[in-house]
Amino acid sequence: MPVTSRLRSPLIHLFFVLFSIASLFPFILVFMVSISDESSIAQNGYSLIPSKINFASYQFLFNDFGQIARSYGVTILVTLIGTTVSLFITALFAYPLSRKDLPLRRTMSFLLFFTMLFSGGMVPWYITYVTMIGLKNTLFGMIIPNLLLSAFNVLLMRSFFANTIPESIVESGTIDGASELTIFMKLVVPLSAPIMATVALFNLLAYWNDWYNCMLFIDKPDLMNIQYLMTKTLNNVQFLIMKADTSSQVGELLSKMPTEGVRMALAIIGVAPLLVAYPFFQKFYISGITSGAVKG
Amino acid sequence: MKKKLQIGLTLIIIVMLVLSGCAQNKTGGSNTPKEDTNNTPSNETGNAASLKPYKITLIYPGAVPKDLKLVQDEMSKYLTEKINATIELKPIDWGSWTDKTNLMKISGESFDLIFTAGWFGYGLDVSKGQFVELTDLIAKHGKDIPAILGDDFMKGAQISNKTYGVPTKKEFAQGFGFLLNKELVDKYKFNTEGVKTLEEMEEMFKVIKEKEQGIVPVVSNKFANTWGAANYDSGIISRDSKELKAIDTLEDPKFIDFLKRMRQWNLNGWFDKDVMTSDSSGQAENMMKAGKAFAIGSSLKPGKDKEMSVTMGLPLVQVETALPYTTTGEANGALLSISRTSKDPERAMMFLNMLYTDAKLLNMLDWGIEGTHYVKKADNVIDYPEGVTAETQGYPSPGGWMFGNQFISYLWANEDADKWEQFEKFNESSERSIALGFTFDEAPVKAEKAAVGNVDKEFQMVLNSGAVDDVEGTIAKYKAKRNAAGYQKILEEQQRQLDEWAKANTK
Repeated sequence: MPVTSRLRSPLIHLFFVLFSIASLFPFILVFMVSISDESSIAQNGYSLIPSKINFASYQFLFNDFGQIARSYGVTILVTLIGTTVSLFITALFAYPLSRKDLPLRRTMSFLLFFTMLFSGGMVPWYITYVTMIGLKNTLFGMIIPNLLLSAFNVLLMRSFFANTIPESIVESGTIDGASELTIFMKLVVPLSAPIMATVALFNLLAYWNDWYNCMLFIDKPDLMNIQYLMTKTLNNVQFLIMKADTSSQVGELLSKMPTEGVRMALAIIGVAPLLVAYPFFQKFYISGITSGAVKG
Repeated sequence: MKKKLQIGLTLIIIVMLVLSGCAQNKTGGSNTPKEDTNNTPSNETGNAASLKPYKITLIYPGAVPKDLKLVQDEMSKYLTEKINATIELKPIDWGSWTDKTNLMKISGESFDLIFTAGWFGYGLDVSKGQFVELTDLIAKHGKDIPAILGDDFMKGAQISNKTYGVPTKKEFAQGFGFLLNKELVDKYKFNTEGVKTLEEMEEMFKVIKEKEQGIVPVVSNKFANTWGAANYDSGIISRDSKELKAIDTLEDPKFIDFLKRMRQWNLNGWFDKDVMTSDSSGQAENMMKAGKAFAIGSSLKPGKDKEMSVTMGLPLVQVETALPYTTTGEANGALLSISRTSKDPERAMMFLNMLYTDAKLLNMLDWGIEGTHYVKKADNVIDYPEGVTAETQGYPSPGGWMFGNQFISYLWANEDADKWEQFEKFNESSERSIALGFTFDEAPVKAEKAAVGNVDKEFQMVLNSGAVDDVEGTIAKYKAKRNAAGYQKILEEQQRQLDEWAKANTK
């Protein structure tokens, strides 16, 4: 017994050290490729230690810095607005569903759940947003479709409210004469910091990483977000490689595309801010937040 | 506090309701092409005043350049004078093209002209009825087009004898062969003139293999595809066959010999070590760029080596291994079609006609605005203005090969002055396929096609790169597997369609 326990800790440590290295490795590799000289990539392929360091890729990107800065602005703006509004309406939907005395509670839950199983399909979805609501080339086009309210997040929150907020807290609020709204804002929300943080992080990631909406709804370069800018370059190259055999023109186009280094540099620029966001959220993941709220 | 919150929430809900209620019905996208509502204007495009103002939308693949708006305004000004129309240029990125255009077509969004091509979904879109049939429109407003293009190519771009798209006038044939590293060609004084047999090519590879340590004679297995395209139309009709007969290339002795030759090349160590993947990963091109390879298979046209020298950054020279060949794939390699959602197909056709005849308009679309994006050096020779380079230009060309008549577009100072004459010659010298104009409709055998495609993936690469010892045995295995996937059915369907097409063409 003592032997195993003495061994266990270093083994666990070792596992996590290896795991961290495995997670970091691709990122470092991408960074190193982005600062390698193009000719050295051509000759030796990717390597962790570039034989010749060259910041040409970043210089190339900064040539077009206006576009990158703008796209960054769009991404940040959309993420901020989207995350806040989304968190707000998710909570406002989930909380009533968690209360047992809500009329039509089952029906509403079912309607919510139904959207997770069935959807109208791509085309009606697109027609609704483009021709009926007119979201083409607006910021809303990147905020509303698919992202604003996720049924999964609502259910997640609902179960949290139902399982961790004791009935008696709501009762005590009612006895003290608080209105429903006060109970929600003053008692429930402060007790739900962990789930709020979780859902906020989910939303943040979803908004930050979303390029699909941008691809469908945005034509103007002024409104493109940073992720689409990245995806675009990669997709263009892949698509042209696929078509290169069938058209002689495409082969020529292909050779005019941005180089490996530029693509990697773009990836680094796109991902950097998220690295900052993670530690900020970590402090919320603390359990036991409700202990002591109800005297047994 | 309480009150404030309540009011706030109510307000939010109201705003949301209002927003979702604000359904702007933006497009009146009726799904039927409008019949001619305005009185038919006179055919002379000079009569702009008699036409209603109209905005033409042109959709093509490419990136949005910085100065798009400038060029668009300039073009609109010119077009207003000529046909009382303005234009909206809508480039869509290659990578998003399929998703975006499909949704546009399905949702009935209104646009006029769209780029398409045989390798870019033309047949599929026609079978879905996305494009307007153009015969009458050409007769009425596109009178100059047939004369400029010539019969072969109007015909070649047709689908079941109907015109749904107008091809760009560019090179109408494909040459086949290799791009060679010029430095090595000069060093060993290789002769690259005329059409070379494979044996003559092998002489060169042998020299390179013996005398140049660390240089790969032939990089990637791309040449196998090039060779296939030079010898078979659509991979089913042998080039030297006199009858329209779909054959199984794996039974053609010519093809089996070729595969054996590839095996020999592999044994000689003439390929790069990653020959199976180097083409799709872009590694082959990198090796050429780095000067580590001597030859790469390529489709050719006049001046291809000069173009590629610029993009690859080292001097190349081209060598042909077969005479140029024209198939349907060349004739419909770049088309402009008119969408069924166009509100005024007549005007779209007038514009299209101008792209073939009006050098001023076409060059605006191809190169931008004179004085801003280019300066004229001579009558039809242009160059960058002072202080502008390829990196800093505000209107990188969308690609002249997509629009109208490339032969009236200006030439850059570093290009051959007689480039278009060379193209004319090249087009005339090319051998026309007997199935020019035939397009195979895959729909009836879609499932078999997909299944056979998977089998192809498994065997094609290894055979093309000569990676297996027993060529005949592998071919036998390949054939068995392919037949199990339904290859014969595809072949029969192809033959049936060929016969039908032949009958319609009364050949």
